[in-house]
Amino acid sequence: MSKLTATRLETLPGPVTRQPSKKPLLKRIAGGGFVAALPFLAPALAAYVVFVIGPMVSAVRLSLFEWSGFNADPQVFVGFKNYVRLFTADPVFWTAMQNTIVWVLLSLVIPTSLGLVMALALNRPIFGRNLFRSVFYIPGVLAPIAIANMWRWMYNPNYGVFSELARAWHIGDGSGVTFLSDPKVAIYAIFAAFVWQIAGLNMVLFLAGLQSVSKELVESARLDGANNWKVFRHVTFPALRPTVVVVLVLTIVHSIKVFDLVVGMTGGGPAQSSQVLALWSYSQSFLQHDFGMGNAVATVLLGITLVLVIPYLIWSTKGNED
Amino acid sequence: MRLLAKGAVALTAIAVLAGCSAGAGSSASGKTQLDWWVINPASPTAAAAQDKIIKDFEAANPDITIKKTNRAVDAHKDALRTSIGTSAAPDIYDFWAGPGLGGELVKNGASADLSSEYTQYKWPERFTEAALGPAKQYGGYHGVPWKLNGEALYYNKALFEKAGITKLPTTIDELNDAAAKLKDAGITPIEFGGTVNWHVMRLLDTFLEGYCGSETFDKLVTNKANWGQEECVTKSFTNLQKWSKDYFNTGFIGINNDESSALFFSGKAAMALEGDWFNAQIKDNAKAEDFGVFPLPTGTGRMYGFEQAMYITKDSKHKDAAAKFLDFMMSTPVQQETLGQFSTQSVNKEVKPAASDELSKSWNGIFENAEGLYMNNDQNLTQAQTTEYWRIQNLVATGGLDPANAGAEFQKFLDSSK
Repeated sequence: MSKLTATRLETLPGPVTRQPSKKPLLKRIAGGGFVAALPFLAPALAAYVVFVIGPMVSAVRLSLFEWSGFNADPQVFVGFKNYVRLFTADPVFWTAMQNTIVWVLLSLVIPTSLGLVMALALNRPIFGRNLFRSVFYIPGVLAPIAIANMWRWMYNPNYGVFSELARAWHIGDGSGVTFLSDPKVAIYAIFAAFVWQIAGLNMVLFLAGLQSVSKELVESARLDGANNWKVFRHVTFPALRPTVVVVLVLTIVHSIKVFDLVVGMTGGGPAQSSQVLALWSYSQSFLQHDFGMGNAVATVLLGITLVLVIPYLIWSTKGNED
Repeated sequence: MRLLAKGAVALTAIAVLAGCSAGAGSSASGKTQLDWWVINPASPTAAAAQDKIIKDFEAANPDITIKKTNRAVDAHKDALRTSIGTSAAPDIYDFWAGPGLGGELVKNGASADLSSEYTQYKWPERFTEAALGPAKQYGGYHGVPWKLNGEALYYNKALFEKAGITKLPTTIDELNDAAAKLKDAGITPIEFGGTVNWHVMRLLDTFLEGYCGSETFDKLVTNKANWGQEECVTKSFTNLQKWSKDYFNTGFIGINNDESSALFFSGKAAMALEGDWFNAQIKDNAKAEDFGVFPLPTGTGRMYGFEQAMYITKDSKHKDAAAKFLDFMMSTPVQQETLGQFSTQSVNKEVKPAASDELSKSWNGIFENAEGLYMNNDQNLTQAQTTEYWRIQNLVATGGLDPANAGAEFQKFLDSSK
């Protein structure tokens, strides 16, 4: 690339940066029409408090109690005993925590990258573009439990797709294809189904983001001799940054609360090796009937979610008030 | 005006519909509706038998209707735990009689004490002593005995013959030898579905009873012996690991019990550790005469099994009608008619097994020769303990835990959750 071109590309305008408001909070509330909007917001706000904030507070409260869940059984306050037991004596909690972290990290890389690649490919005028878009998007609208059943069938060591393929390719008798039976592999086998489910959704978000990329800038970059990679690196990707943030946050949220796929494919097994925090919380409460421990896990999960999502909420609301 | 008229009609319709739904458990026609929650029947034949019981009862009692809800095992457990104590609870529920399952619900006030109903219907005179035992274990009477099931080893005669097994095993060592012979003959010795943890558990329970003996087994499951200090526990887990590695169907842990049963019906596995309800499943899926059944060779003389009862919920508004239905269900004619559909033996002492086929005859012998009962450990242990028992069992079965450490690992959990 010539010196001139390089300079011009480097000075291309980046994404718009939002300036935080300097007005005091009360003035911003009064001046922003918040009071006038309050009657309209109130019903939704009330529903939010009752159905979202209320259960959250209740979950945190219950995590400090011992309770079997039966109406006749009294709730006994035990302070932080459930947390101490969870962190020091629960044989499954740390496995579930590790699996959840691994799941989040892998999700940030694999389905997001895949979604971006598919979006870039299907943003070009290729034959059958709309058909491919639909095909890749469809898994995202299927019920996770249906996806779990489908993949469990595919993984079946006796008649599943993979064992049949192994037989067809003469790799043993096919019965060795035991993805969900291997404690070291099961969680990744479930994750594969998750990627299949979520990559299409990410693709759609990226496709929407790609519509906002300035065609003039792309053409200018090309006139300056930029190749595809450089156009992507210096023009497309910076313009996609807000979309990337949205996709990453949604992916984190999806990953943290993953439940249906694990229930449907392994139930957390074998030997709790594919257990995740959301399912462990459910299992403790509704299968083992230990609502204190179950809500302690749920509270830990809530804490992790807030730590990861609050920065995004702050970022996304900055500059929206003026 | 037209809009107003339409609104009035709509409101009237809503009011009529609301009137139809009256209060819970009763209909506009004045009939009493009983909600009956039952675990999915083991076979279509058994399902049809359940429906016939309802039909016959309703015909004899036109003022009562039965609304039956069937669920799979785990879904049934979940539904009960979340509904007991609320208006969604059924009038009658099917549950196990073991202290770890039925006992938990009794302890938490789910079940009504049926002492007066036992007197009214003279149930103590109707049921066998073995069947009455679990109902009396909490004081008073909880639940009405419905079926006493035994579990044993079903086997494929042709595959046993092919492997050169001429004598049915009578000890755990002989059972080990038989499995080895089957494997040597290129046959999968036994089928299990590992996604439902209780399936493989049956074999581990059997090894514990066999290697530890009945006295130590009972001490272990009642927290009176230390799992980490009993040599027989290590021996049991070691044998479980050997069996899962060498004798189970490949990939057992990734499939459920229905899928693994298909291997047995189709002759791809030589043995299945199942209960007497399996007779009906075999008849529905294969030629019954190709299969036989023998008791688990633990050497203690006790039969492996459990009881299921029909409990009336404490908050039921229709206890009298519920008791009437259960009296009908456990009556001699109904029990005689349905014998073999749910279990091979009846809880009603007047009903004698007909033994019309070889499998049923074998079961009669197993029940008659049993010197007591040892229950499945998910009946003995609490839910939390059972979850951990299954985790350790599966870790050992999949090679993730040294059998020598399994007992101590479980004891650690028992100690930490006291």
